[in-house]
Amino acid sequence: MSAPSICEELRQGLGALFVCSEHGQYQRIRTPYLYPDGDVIDLFCKADNDVLTITDLGETTRWLRMQTISPKRSVRQRALIEDVCLTHGVEFYKGMLLARCRPGEPLASVVLRVVQAALRVSDLWFTFRTRAVESVADEVADFLTERQLPFDRDEKLAGRSGRAWTVDFHVRPPSRSSLVCILSTGSRYAARRIAEHVLALWYDLNHLAAGPEALQFVSLFDDTMDVWSPEDFRLLEDLSTIARWSQPETLIETLTAA
Amino acid sequence: MEFRAEVASSVGWPLFVRGSYNPLIPALSYALILKTAGRIYALDLGKDHHNPQCDYVGEKHKHRWTEQFRDKEAYVPENITADAADPVGVWRQFCTEAGITHLGTLRPPPPVQQELF
Repeated sequence: MSAPSICEELRQGLGALFVCSEHGQYQRIRTPYLYPDGDVIDLFCKADNDVLTITDLGETTRWLRMQTISPKRSVRQRALIEDVCLTHGVEFYKGMLLARCRPGEPLASVVLRVVQAALRVSDLWFTFRTRAVESVADEVADFLTERQLPFDRDEKLAGRSGRAWTVDFHVRPPSRSSLVCILSTGSRYAARRIAEHVLALWYDLNHLAAGPEALQFVSLFDDTMDVWSPEDFRLLEDLSTIARWSQPETLIETLTAA
Repeated sequence: MEFRAEVASSVGWPLFVRGSYNPLIPALSYALILKTAGRIYALDLGKDHHNPQCDYVGEKHKHRWTEQFRDKEAYVPENITADAADPVGVWRQFCTEAGITHLGTLRPPPPVQQELF
């Protein structure tokens, strides 16, 4: 096939990959593009006088939310969505990706801008740590970043026994530094085992809680899931300060207290 | 409109069910999410699906996790007969097919009251 005929075939064939149909108050454009799980990306058009709005009606962020148990978008995800929108000249409004097609503007280019933005936003799924769910540790990292609290993550520390322990966060606000361990599980069966692990960790690291630069130990319970018993909290309250992820402001107060 | 709920199981899997409804299309999804692995079972109504084998499944499809394709392969669930605009009816059928017992009440979503843009 010669070069001109390749172009000609593309010119003739590409348009047919976009299928338009009436869909209530919108025109639906079924695109050939797919979300990461294979679901088809649909766009919707609505005319308002001589301006046409092209949007995904919020389906991209809805798709993204359905892949995770996180109740809200993280700061990092919001920043990435804003970056995608900036690149493609798309507006993010009420969870929808939108672009206006003004008189004289080619509709095809606006449609491609919106669908490219939809693709890129849905690809944020690949950035989730497990490629499936964003961990609570990721959410905590986003929160600390948002509150401008400097931290080191997954720090390895040597215990008095000689064993190496990994602490989720070493947070260093101006007043006093803290080590934070996150207790997170979806299973009641695993909850006690995790609490006991963190207890052993704080006990073995307790030399770090002494001296002029004594570190505060914080046990942060992911209590967005009802798996913890009162005994789990009691187990850790003598050796550490208890914080609950359902009360993030209290966590900040704990970390920034002198 | 969305909800999320923990699913208790006899062996203690960290399972959650998530529901999501977009009344503008309408499009409806219910998904079972295993906290350690992600979405393992999901029903989608209102948008088409393309399988790795390159066949299109249609606007009513269900994803089921497999070793080969993870959650990318979908099929048509014949026993889901309620419409995407009926989230409560679909929820009952989804629970029946997935073997979930719902002890509460899922109420119909309120009507859309304003223009979105």
